[in-house]
Amino acid sequence: MELDLVVTTLARALAFSTPLLWAALGEIVVERAGVVNLGVEGMMILGALAGFVVAQTTGDPWLGLLAAMAAGGLTAALHAFFSVLLRANQYVSGLALTIFGLGLSGLIGRSWVGRPLTNPMEFVDVPILQSIPVLGPALFQGQYALSWLGLLAAIALWFVLHHTRLGLTIRTVGENPAAADAAGVRVLTVRIWTVIFGGVMAGVAGGFLSLAYRPSWGQGMTNGLGWIALALAIFALWDPLRAIFAALLFGTFFTLSFSLQAYFAPQLLTMMPYLFTILALTVIALRKGAGAFGAPEALGEPYSRGER
Amino acid sequence: MRRILALILAAAALTFAAAQDPLKVAFIYVGPVGDYGFSYAHDLGRQATQEHFGDQIETIFVEDVPEPEVEPFIDQLVADGADVILGTSFGFGDGILAAAQRYPDVIFGWGTGYLRSPNVFTYMADFYQVYYLNGLIAAALSESGSLGYVGAFPIAEVKRHINAFTLGAREINPDAEVNVRWLYNWYDPAGATEATEALLAAGSDVIAFTEDTPTVIQVAAQRESPGFSHYASMVEFAPGYVVSGQLVNWETIYIDFIQGVLDGTYTNSNLEDVDYFWLLEEEAVELGAEPGVPVAEAYIDDLEAVVIDHPEFGEINAYDLVMRRLAQMTESRENFDPFLGPLVDRNGKEVYADGYLPTIGDLVSMEFAVPGVVGPWDNEPQ
Repeated sequence: MELDLVVTTLARALAFSTPLLWAALGEIVVERAGVVNLGVEGMMILGALAGFVVAQTTGDPWLGLLAAMAAGGLTAALHAFFSVLLRANQYVSGLALTIFGLGLSGLIGRSWVGRPLTNPMEFVDVPILQSIPVLGPALFQGQYALSWLGLLAAIALWFVLHHTRLGLTIRTVGENPAAADAAGVRVLTVRIWTVIFGGVMAGVAGGFLSLAYRPSWGQGMTNGLGWIALALAIFALWDPLRAIFAALLFGTFFTLSFSLQAYFAPQLLTMMPYLFTILALTVIALRKGAGAFGAPEALGEPYSRGER
Repeated sequence: MRRILALILAAAALTFAAAQDPLKVAFIYVGPVGDYGFSYAHDLGRQATQEHFGDQIETIFVEDVPEPEVEPFIDQLVADGADVILGTSFGFGDGILAAAQRYPDVIFGWGTGYLRSPNVFTYMADFYQVYYLNGLIAAALSESGSLGYVGAFPIAEVKRHINAFTLGAREINPDAEVNVRWLYNWYDPAGATEATEALLAAGSDVIAFTEDTPTVIQVAAQRESPGFSHYASMVEFAPGYVVSGQLVNWETIYIDFIQGVLDGTYTNSNLEDVDYFWLLEEEAVELGAEPGVPVAEAYIDDLEAVVIDHPEFGEINAYDLVMRRLAQMTESRENFDPFLGPLVDRNGKEVYADGYLPTIGDLVSMEFAVPGVVGPWDNEPQ
């Protein structure tokens, strides 16, 4: 019985944290390049709507996912234009993106409300892996492909960021753009493409919501998940591998806030991840400058050649 | 000078037009019309009301209005010439009552509210009888005897509905339990998903809910558990798994009240005692997965297969019991009420004495939990 609780909790934690993980991975890469994008919620919801509309019209949820990625990427391009090219305040531009996305999706989505997706994504069991005790039934049975693809994406991004030239370039742009510039890196180009990449990842997160997790369209259906993803990126200390554990931890507390509601006040449990995030921020502040452990040095600062 | 003259002429024309204007009725919704739940149902009511009265009235609405910020919206509606303003949500109350003092000529309505004044009436189409009937159905279909309920907020309205659902369930199966999980939110698709999953994992096999989206029945259907429509027909969201549900016809109340305004029965000075608390009898609410279908046909056989020995009706199957009770309550609340005393709460304390029929006041302030309700219960009387 207790083992059952462990399995269900892990399984539900993974399902709930899937959109968080995708969006947070995107944001980690963006912030590693020195740009903050608070527009995750807006990119996610436009991704959710685009994904739903295309999947409903074509009958293919994977085409829907492509549309969700495109919508997220396009929305992010707006942020890249304003905050990277025009060097507008990144925080303001990102916030505007969130408000814009929520409003626009509500307006366009009006006629798509009240009809469930006719052909949603289905559960996929992973051969071999599903027979691992506890972890198998929890993570590799009765889950959507996007859930464990998210885990793979985290590992791949970790490899790219830490073990490839491209990763080194991105991180240098985020730590010391002037030095990167001097070394011949096109700082603005790198930043623009990472921002768009972050939007594509947020689009996947939104698509997961409207194509798999809750196969329908509802106004405001992201309901704050984009903001949790932002907290997650910080809590993971900008590391894709740690993001897996951070996402699962957020998910575990969320699902426990329902399964253990009879024993604990649900507010207490849902508050925990944020408490950890504040703790993580405190630790970072105390150990400022301790290398890869902290935030990218140039985070949030628009780059312009010759201003230093 | 000519310009001023033109302005005066235009103003005079406007005033003249205003005298000929239809009664302007404004609706304030708490959610988007597209929530496919609470606000959606109110808007269907608005459309039906408009259709009923034709040219006599003009209806307008504002949606997605944050509860604490309702007053500026009211100011704007008054400026736009609204004669009647209907705020559909409980949380609009403070704003409505304050605005009603500022605009004594305007008639206000507070949906799901409880305080009135000379120009504010209250109204509610309540589901408690329907939830009781859903409870009968749920217990008859449950194999485990454990039912689930995803609740929005632990307030009197939701508590009353959970209690009624539980009383129904226990009439079929005296050992039935209703597991409750709270969202602390009216609109929370992710929370509703995880709450439903948690209930199913804990062994509940039929799920009812109060939340503003069809999420709960979608998730329950994925795990092959039946569920109930809430506010609007949700059959399409879970084909084959929506047994019955709670449907609302807000227009019954809206049409009745606006007719009163047009007749001159209701004015801006005599609404102090006008409180609609409409039920099955007035057809303000309806039992069904979709309009006109009290119980989905696919489940009728299953319900007829469950036969119990009933103190009032003798040997009777669950389907017939549902229909009998529905007929009784549709005729009058006096015939049968789920909360008719004697009633004890889950701590064993008597709440209603033998033969006592709770008043509307009792119902709208219900804080206790009946036996069979399992789970946390804020503000439970000790």
